[in-house]
Amino acid sequence: MRPIETRYALSGEVRIAYQVVGQGSLDLVFVPGFISNLDLHWEDEGYTRLLKRLSAFSRLILFDKRGTGLSDRVDVHHLPSLETRMDDVRAVMDAAGSGRAALLGASEGAPMAMLFAATYPERTRALALYGGYAHFHKWVMSPERLNAFIATADTAWGTGATLPNFAPGRVDDIRFSTWWARFERLSASPTAAAALARMNAEIDVRGVLGAIGAPTLLIHRRNDVRVDPDASRFLARNIPNARLAEIPGRDHPIWTGDVDRVADLIEEFLTGACAVAEAERVLAVLLVTRIYDTARLGDRMWNERSQRFQETWRTLVGRHGGRCVDMRGETMISRFDGAGRALRCAAALREAAQQIGVSSAQGVHVGEIELRGPPSGLTGRVTMRLATHAGRGDILASRLVADLATGSGLHFTDAGRIGVDELDEPLALVLAMSEQHLEPACRPKAKATEPACLTTRESEVVNLIADGKSNATIAAELRLSEHTVKRHVANILLKLDLPSRAAAAAFSARHAGSDGPS
Amino acid sequence: MLTKTQAVNGAAIKKAIEGRDGKMLASFYADDALVRVIDRNNPPSKPREVRGRAAITTFWDDICSRAMTHKVDTTIADGDNLAFTQACAYPDGTKVFCAAMLELKNGLIARQTVVQAWDE
Repeated sequence: MRPIETRYALSGEVRIAYQVVGQGSLDLVFVPGFISNLDLHWEDEGYTRLLKRLSAFSRLILFDKRGTGLSDRVDVHHLPSLETRMDDVRAVMDAAGSGRAALLGASEGAPMAMLFAATYPERTRALALYGGYAHFHKWVMSPERLNAFIATADTAWGTGATLPNFAPGRVDDIRFSTWWARFERLSASPTAAAALARMNAEIDVRGVLGAIGAPTLLIHRRNDVRVDPDASRFLARNIPNARLAEIPGRDHPIWTGDVDRVADLIEEFLTGACAVAEAERVLAVLLVTRIYDTARLGDRMWNERSQRFQETWRTLVGRHGGRCVDMRGETMISRFDGAGRALRCAAALREAAQQIGVSSAQGVHVGEIELRGPPSGLTGRVTMRLATHAGRGDILASRLVADLATGSGLHFTDAGRIGVDELDEPLALVLAMSEQHLEPACRPKAKATEPACLTTRESEVVNLIADGKSNATIAAELRLSEHTVKRHVANILLKLDLPSRAAAAAFSARHAGSDGPS
Repeated sequence: MLTKTQAVNGAAIKKAIEGRDGKMLASFYADDALVRVIDRNNPPSKPREVRGRAAITTFWDDICSRAMTHKVDTTIADGDNLAFTQACAYPDGTKVFCAAMLELKNGLIARQTVVQAWDE
């Protein structure tokens, strides 16, 4: 996206940075919460989505409050009053040529927007307040909690340490938490952040609510962690022409959680027309990772390991440029832009599962999915089917995924076909190999070697090789010496006429699915 | 009302737009008129639609509340079809350019398509 031009409005002697996006007939001023940075917003997917949605039907006017983001800094010893900050909205509207605008106040921006609506009724077309409140200590934080928050900001500002206070649901999202840390650093200095928090703590606009004449929409997430939903219920009772929409969710920032739900409500409120249902579909590679207990660990140990794996899953998916989109019990779904990334992530997850001591089975498929929400369409169902069909340690992918990963250096072996009810033809499958080796990418079934020629012990060993385990690990699991395992491996390769361990792994998968050649 | 009797033609539209007269502009439309806006954020396959005189009145009220200049340059009339271009500027220098095609029915605007682009 082309960078949006940032301009500066003069409010008294202070420069207020603002941007104007879109050219809808209606002006909409977004009054941000605690901190903001006009440039950084466009680097977050959720923020961009929100701004894109709002600017599709309005001329959206964005600004950083004085003391934050790209606007002039303020003297932290002489903090501006809420009235002064509210007047910055007017200055920005004047500069942007907006005579009358709807105001969207989010979080701390809500009291500012309310004060504006009460002060300039002729310039307020409507008021949309998200996660707002009229009195800080009553609905956001008690003085004790505020002091603890300021202490955190004082010692760890810029590290993203405040994220759990705002969006606990995104703490494990590495990309977002990294962005949040930058958001802190680029939106306010540590001293300014503490001063802003103290300044916000003085907010009490309960006295002006009755003077708000503009039609008002209140939106609040039912389990908002930052601002008590009772805050909006109070506003609904005290603002004359207000309507409250409580929606599911607990993350507080307006650009997190179900952003589209919030945008739908605002659009319908301001334009009178329902947002056009937009089933946006994108091409994506899905990876379904299933873990299960083959070692009879017992509930406690299994829970510990399962949890550990889930944490690792989040980290590895983020590290491979993917996104964690859904988790159903021991089944995890992630989404990637490229086949190679998804497969490398699957290989890393397989290794992690081995180290943690759980069994994994994974499926990878590519197709169109709905941009919103967890993938529920055909692509999601097919990928789930592959993960269910995959044996222990397998990364079972559709042939299409392998074709897309051509040139990535990844290797595959043919894994037959699988019938899927909703597809006209059975789906061609491959097994992804995590190691580089010298055999052909797709080894034909040249030898009519039967698994039956292996002894029971050799079959056990070949199954564990298929899980990608080292000789040392196999030795430990089967209570043999490493030397004996080496001998078994050599015998297996000799009997099956195979060139490598990876080929033996592929042989194992080819012949038996989940139970291996027994 | 005087505005009701104003004939809808290029000159009347130019006067109303340049004078930011939202009431006058709204009076030019038929009750069931449709305005379609196509721009970067509202592509041709999903244009923004403003239906009916009430919504169109709000549409023009919003636009006319802006402290900006409008200049209607070219107006072409052909039977019940009318076209014009419009150059607009905000106080901070941002420019907008629109081209509009109109279909008249019984002397009122029944359908209007606006294509616009702007500085951002």
